[in-house]
Amino acid sequence: MKSLDPRVNRLPEIDIENSVSRKDPLDQLGTYEVFVQPKEGKPFQHEGALHASDREMAFVLAKESFTRRFQCISLFVVRTTNVFVSDTTEDSESVYDRIKGDVDKGGNQQSYEIFNLYKRGKQHVHIGSVSASSPELAMAAAKNKLPPSKTVYNIWTVKTSDIRFTQPDEMDLWNTLPDKKFRDASDYKGGDKLKEFLERSK
Amino acid sequence: MYGGGTTFEGIKAEKKDDPVKLAEFEARIERGEKIEPTDWMPALYRKQLIRMIEQHAHSEIIGALPEGTWITRAPGFKRKMALMAKVQDEVGHAQLLYSAAETLGKSREEMIDDLINGKSKYSNIFNYPTFTWADCCFISWLVDAGAIVNQLANAKGSYGPYCRALDRICAEESFHLKYGHHCVIYLAAGTEIQRQMFQDALNRWWPPMMHFFGPSDKISVHSDTLMKWKVKMGSNDDMRNQFLDMYVPKIRELGFVIPDPKLNKNEETGRWEYTEPDWEEFKRVINGDGPCNKERLAVRRTAEERGRWVREALRSPKTVYQMPLA
Ligand SMILES: [Fe+2]
Ligand SMILES: [Fe+2]
Ligand SMILES: [Fe+2]
Repeated sequence: MKSLDPRVNRLPEIDIENSVSRKDPLDQLGTYEVFVQPKEGKPFQHEGALHASDREMAFVLAKESFTRRFQCISLFVVRTTNVFVSDTTEDSESVYDRIKGDVDKGGNQQSYEIFNLYKRGKQHVHIGSVSASSPELAMAAAKNKLPPSKTVYNIWTVKTSDIRFTQPDEMDLWNTLPDKKFRDASDYKGGDKLKEFLERSK
Repeated sequence: MYGGGTTFEGIKAEKKDDPVKLAEFEARIERGEKIEPTDWMPALYRKQLIRMIEQHAHSEIIGALPEGTWITRAPGFKRKMALMAKVQDEVGHAQLLYSAAETLGKSREEMIDDLINGKSKYSNIFNYPTFTWADCCFISWLVDAGAIVNQLANAKGSYGPYCRALDRICAEESFHLKYGHHCVIYLAAGTEIQRQMFQDALNRWWPPMMHFFGPSDKISVHSDTLMKWKVKMGSNDDMRNQFLDMYVPKIRELGFVIPDPKLNKNEETGRWEYTEPDWEEFKRVINGDGPCNKERLAVRRTAEERGRWVREALRSPKTVYQMPLA
């Protein structure tokens, strides 16, 4: 293929027209949800989703996709299938009102992370963790242990052990962010050059 | 990056929508609330949004190609770093947008399939070549400026996941815009050859830039329904007018001449008058017959082919694809 792009000219001649078939139905990686903590004292917040082959890969991609600029001190990823989602409520009805304060009759107690949605259209925010024997009972436990001060429209719960957290020795992943000024609009002030040009061309 | 060239087809009120649910849905939008993936929505709303977000995502991916080609040849280390960061952003925008479209029920593999098989469209402007560094600067500054006009409008739309993706995208676009303007200021304040280089780029890119916002309201499919549902946030001509308002003065300030003798703002109507772009050319190019259509798709297909073994190696029977949550 002849192109203005030297990289395209270097491409091996493959018979593209005949070699590309439709992707196999399974040619798709798993789905992960990404949560980011922008700074100390702020809660983790849902940032978006991505596809990866496993949790480790998802973590690396999350760092690259969601924390390239601004501030970040920590992130975590979890498989979408491991997120349990409550009903969604409207207006002044809190979704916690629909959750019965069932007594957790023991069983296998595990730690769950709880995320609340305070405003439709916004992101879910991490509010803390509880111990329970099922995701449903984790929501019930959150109702008692982490009573919200605002109306909550939707809850997500995730088993703590399903989460890939940032490890203590990875906390420095974002240390170089302040050095990467070339990614910021503020590094491209053209005002002086422009003024000098306008003066000159008067 | 994204133009108003989104092609909406078959816009007729669907018959079978439950009138009660439809009324609730419309009332929610009317109140300014967002629609979320789990909410009921009319089939037409879902269909048009998938189409629009998907085209937007493809435009980011394909749009990275004409600029990407200049990374190795950008003048100096600083420009190379900046352009690399920008191109990475654009590809990241595609990732965010594909995720948003997925929440409506079309998988990423289907979207990529449709792109490489020529079934889905992307912004027409990326079917034009970047001959010189100045062409690349034109894209960084002005094509991105056009994209921002669209994206800021769409960020006030009704679909939650798309709006959230656009908020992130717009934050990054402010860097693209500043960087692009910076590049052009330096060309303008440079040597006579540099000035001429940008003037030539401007001459080449002005017609596709006018096409960027889509066919004139006089000839495009008009949809009050999509406007009411806040899928389409402004008419093509409104967007074009907004762009001209913001950027014609900035281009002229640098002493460049826009190649349209009729271009003039009518102070009474507040609207820009210009030579009507060649909509036949627009149609021809969007239907595959532009200077770079073949190359753009070939590059995507080659990437797909060359990456196949990686995806096969990573694939695991335990991996489950699921629609993203929000
Ligand atoms: Fe762009
Ligand atoms: Fe972009
Ligand atoms: Fe951009």
